[in-house]
Amino acid sequence: MIAESGHYALVLALALALIQSIVPIVGARWRDAALMNVARSTALAQLLFVAASFAALVTLHVTSDFSVANVFENSHSLKPLLYKITGVWGNHEGSMLLWVSILALFGGLVAAFGNNLPLSLRAHVLAVQAWVASAFYLFILITSNPFLRIANPPIEGRDLNPVLQDIGLAVHPPMLYLGYVGFSISFSFAVAALLEGRIDAAWARWVRPWTLMAWIFLTLGIAMGSYWAYYELGWGGWWFWDPVENASLMPWLAGTALLHSALVMEKRNALKVWTVLLSILTFSLSLLGTFLVRSGVLTSVHAFATDPTRGVFILLILFVFIGGSLSLYAWRAPALKQGGLFAPISREGALVLNNLLLTTACATVFIGTLYPLALEVLTGEKISVGAPFFNFTFAPLFVPLLLAVPFGPLLAWKRGDLLGAAQRLLVAGIVALVAIALVLAWTYGGATLAPLAIGLAAFVIMGALCDLAERIALFRIPLSLSLRRARGLPRATWGTAFAHAGLGVALIGIVCETTWNSEYIGSMKPDDVARVAGYELRLDGLNPRQGPNFREMVAQFTVTRDGEKVSVMTPSKRNFTTRGASTTEAALLTRGASQLYISLGDTSADGAIAVRIYHKPLVLMIWWGPVLMAFGGLLSLSDRRLRVGAPKPAKAAARALQAAE
Amino acid sequence: MTRKQRRLTLIGCALVVLAIAAGLVLNALRDSIVFFSTPSMVAEKHLGPGKRFRLGGLVEQGSLKRGDNLAVTFTVGDGGATLPVAYKGILPDLFREGQGVVAEGALDANGVFRADTVLAKHDETYMPKDVADALKKQGHWKDDYGAKPNSMPSASAAPTQGAMR
Amino acid sequence: MTLWFVFALMTVAAIFAVLWPLSRRGRADSGGSEVVVYRDQLAEIDRDMASGIIGAAEADAARIEISRRLLAAADQNGRDAPVTGSLSLRRAAAIVALVGLPVIASSFYLALGSPRLGDFPLAERSRVADANQPLANLVAQVEAHLEKNPTDGRGWTVLAPVLSRLGRYDDAVRAYRNAITYAGDSADRRADLGEALMGSAGGVVTADAKAEFERAVALNGDDAKASYFLGLAAEQDGRKADAAALWQKMLAKGPSDAPWRPLVQAALVRVGGTVPAGGSAPGGASAPALPDSAMAAAKDMSEADRSTMIKGMVDRLATRLKTNGDDVEGWLRLVRAYLVMGERDKAMSALADARQAVANDADRLRQLNEGLKNLGLDG
Repeated sequence: MIAESGHYALVLALALALIQSIVPIVGARWRDAALMNVARSTALAQLLFVAASFAALVTLHVTSDFSVANVFENSHSLKPLLYKITGVWGNHEGSMLLWVSILALFGGLVAAFGNNLPLSLRAHVLAVQAWVASAFYLFILITSNPFLRIANPPIEGRDLNPVLQDIGLAVHPPMLYLGYVGFSISFSFAVAALLEGRIDAAWARWVRPWTLMAWIFLTLGIAMGSYWAYYELGWGGWWFWDPVENASLMPWLAGTALLHSALVMEKRNALKVWTVLLSILTFSLSLLGTFLVRSGVLTSVHAFATDPTRGVFILLILFVFIGGSLSLYAWRAPALKQGGLFAPISREGALVLNNLLLTTACATVFIGTLYPLALEVLTGEKISVGAPFFNFTFAPLFVPLLLAVPFGPLLAWKRGDLLGAAQRLLVAGIVALVAIALVLAWTYGGATLAPLAIGLAAFVIMGALCDLAERIALFRIPLSLSLRRARGLPRATWGTAFAHAGLGVALIGIVCETTWNSEYIGSMKPDDVARVAGYELRLDGLNPRQGPNFREMVAQFTVTRDGEKVSVMTPSKRNFTTRGASTTEAALLTRGASQLYISLGDTSADGAIAVRIYHKPLVLMIWWGPVLMAFGGLLSLSDRRLRVGAPKPAKAAARALQAAE
Repeated sequence: MTRKQRRLTLIGCALVVLAIAAGLVLNALRDSIVFFSTPSMVAEKHLGPGKRFRLGGLVEQGSLKRGDNLAVTFTVGDGGATLPVAYKGILPDLFREGQGVVAEGALDANGVFRADTVLAKHDETYMPKDVADALKKQGHWKDDYGAKPNSMPSASAAPTQGAMR
Repeated sequence: MTLWFVFALMTVAAIFAVLWPLSRRGRADSGGSEVVVYRDQLAEIDRDMASGIIGAAEADAARIEISRRLLAAADQNGRDAPVTGSLSLRRAAAIVALVGLPVIASSFYLALGSPRLGDFPLAERSRVADANQPLANLVAQVEAHLEKNPTDGRGWTVLAPVLSRLGRYDDAVRAYRNAITYAGDSADRRADLGEALMGSAGGVVTADAKAEFERAVALNGDDAKASYFLGLAAEQDGRKADAAALWQKMLAKGPSDAPWRPLVQAALVRVGGTVPAGGSAPGGASAPALPDSAMAAAKDMSEADRSTMIKGMVDRLATRLKTNGDDVEGWLRLVRAYLVMGERDKAMSALADARQAVANDADRLRQLNEGLKNLGLDG
């Protein structure tokens, strides 16, 4: 009953999406308000049904109904409740249902809060959303149906993989999806604008908060995924330039560019055509990311061959949406009106530079990720493009970007004063130079590039602070007056400062972790002492322990520094008895922003255990940076002027204005 | 500046950035690409010492030897040829004899593969894709590789099961 | 019946969602417009000027620009007001909803769904567990039990042989190990563990397995299974004399009615040892070796068992030849076996291996080539 109702709800959602794809467009064509309004009610109904469908799947997983093939294959009655729920999107079918549910959620939000959108724009946007949704419903129903049944239900489910039972792994995919799918809104707006043949300022005003929201989720999702890899995989790495990671980084880069170009468009009515293209590209990369990861094509070209319908369907969707929207762009973009003028040295100019560097960086990641795939398909030769490639291409493009970041907010719109901005950044420059000198002196004879990078990070952070100081006229007027000004500053300004500073914070973490990371790898016996970065770690002993469904070998280390006891760390190695799987549980000791990290290897015959100990200086800043950026984004989003719903007083004022005319 | 001049400046800037990026990409593609080989391919191609590549294959049964201070040696084979591998460090949780493995490193002067990274299969049924592809190409692939080897139970075990007790 | 009622309700709700806006007279609540945006921008310019970000001249210029757009937008607004559409279009849309929705939904659902299957949540199912369940389900239940009580030695003892029988050797190995840990060490369990280890190695007596058999024999010198497999280990290592000696000792010491006698005797004949007095050679004991004699023994087995058994034997032979390639007869037998099994590729690769193995010995090479000619493979 639950399974079949969920299935039927999904089918109904498809039917509604199909109607929503056509009727509003017809309505817009004949300027029929009632037909256009159909988009709104169907979008809400679609959300209702797909949410019911998703809730049904969750219920089935929770009650361990193994008559549903998806539950049988991906669950087990002994899983803890939390992992029964998160297991819903831990598999292909379930994750696709989550994807489309989020899509419907965003569609529903546009329908619910789109009061201040011009009617035909809203109809077009919702129709385009419905096209995407229809394709996904069809994909799910035909090739990845989570509601298929087994006539003779088995007594027990198949999956109890201990490695996957982790809260970090469970939470970050939905975050990433919220990000990916959030970009569908700007995509729909872009396609709607192309269909209508005009872009107005309201368009940009709407696109920016949605992009911002998606961007915040994506930023957090990427950071979470990275932290999960860091503590769970047991070798202390936090970014591997793995195709799966790149698949999420590409939309982030494009989305960041979009965020900034939408700003130019809203404020200055310029860069319209470019913003539309960027919206299309960002969502295309999101689609590509979802599918590359989901289709398994990145792990093996042959995954396509094992399930041809799924593979062909995926290719078809990618082709229709990416190819179709780009063709539409090529056809209709020339008809769009060009925007305002600006000098190369201006806020707009800085944002164009930002866009240029971000999209180029995105392109290099794209090449590095897809080149091996293309080469294998074309020549059959297998290569892997690893971290060195990305370090060589990505880093040189990011350095000028970071150098330019502090200048952007200080330049005026339309025609800026570079010299003036440089003067205002004098303090930041001095701080950066001092930082370089200090670090160089401290690590004399060490790496030369690292101090420069630290200086760059200091420049970015101080630049953000300088911008704030400039705006509240700190030290130029009495402090109380400055504080009052600070309170009066728009939240978006605060948000910008936080996000830019976050970039610098993350850079410091990355540079410190990669340059001054020290490690000890060796085998230790009880009472052996390892020395890492001024810490002494004594292995007190190895104790077996019985967990709920595993046995583990817990190693106890006493950590001392200069003879003083700091803490006790207990990394362990777990053996899951009936499954024969083993996992390594690393122990982390946080000291400020730095961490000590211990993971265990195998025990050898003579009772020694292989141990890996890392000291990672300032490593936590790598994740504090993105969190700061996301917080900045949130501040911007909460800005009245940007809020998703219509600014009520302003609307009233507009009415008054119209009445006056 | 006129509109046209401004646009030209913009396009010029874009072209410069793109040219730099293209240069970086081509340069990096030349220097930092790692090819994948199996022991047979290594034997055929006569890869010289010092050239980095990824080696994939199955860890030969009984070849794993542990030395002092986490040094390990083992042999990787693909049914056609074998190659000795030396590695220092902790092997992944799922490293086992008879299972697929991918190692990254280079040959030394004695023809021993010095690995600095060793990746093992990820779960019970996973085989590194490069290994699977290469084995398939050479006809050593059985579809249930990596799954339990229950398609070939021992000959002696079958008849004795009942008779011995 | 309830199910169809629920479906009907859901369909009606969906149709209602489409019809509702159509039924309302198209009020032109066109919502927001550009005008609002431009008003906000004007306000922002004032703010920026107040905080000194832009100068008065720039602010004026910007104000003029925005005001111009504002006027244009207000102008546009007047012209764009939607006309109230035609009734026929709405009727068409309504018909699409009334007919299209149920048709699309039911055609998809009927093709994919299984309306006759009810729910089977776990709570309901475990109540009706009975003896008719297939073996796999019982195993799953025992495993589930052991997952919660991993120190139940008796459970492991029961589970292990079943897993071994099912061919899940890796799991069986683990189960036997746990049985030994929690239910105590014994020669039987060690021997069974060794056998499971062999199973997971495809029938080869690995060093691990051998160690277990040796431990079993140490615990109980008379353990027949362990002794037999130690002999087999010797045979696989190429030490036929040792194997024969071991098996002869077994036959001499063991009771005359032991069920394993025929098997050990057959094995003994295979390695060329003489069967000691007191035991008669089993039928077909004089037959040369591997496939043929074993085939006879396998007569009573089912087709599937037989083929897996043969396959295992062939694999074992191949493994032995890899370590000791001098045995021309063995090579020929392997090639023939592969041909019979229809695996021509493997036969050819075995052939190549054989040539390589005996390449240094002219006599053997000639012998090999003649044999191959007889098999119809020359050159």
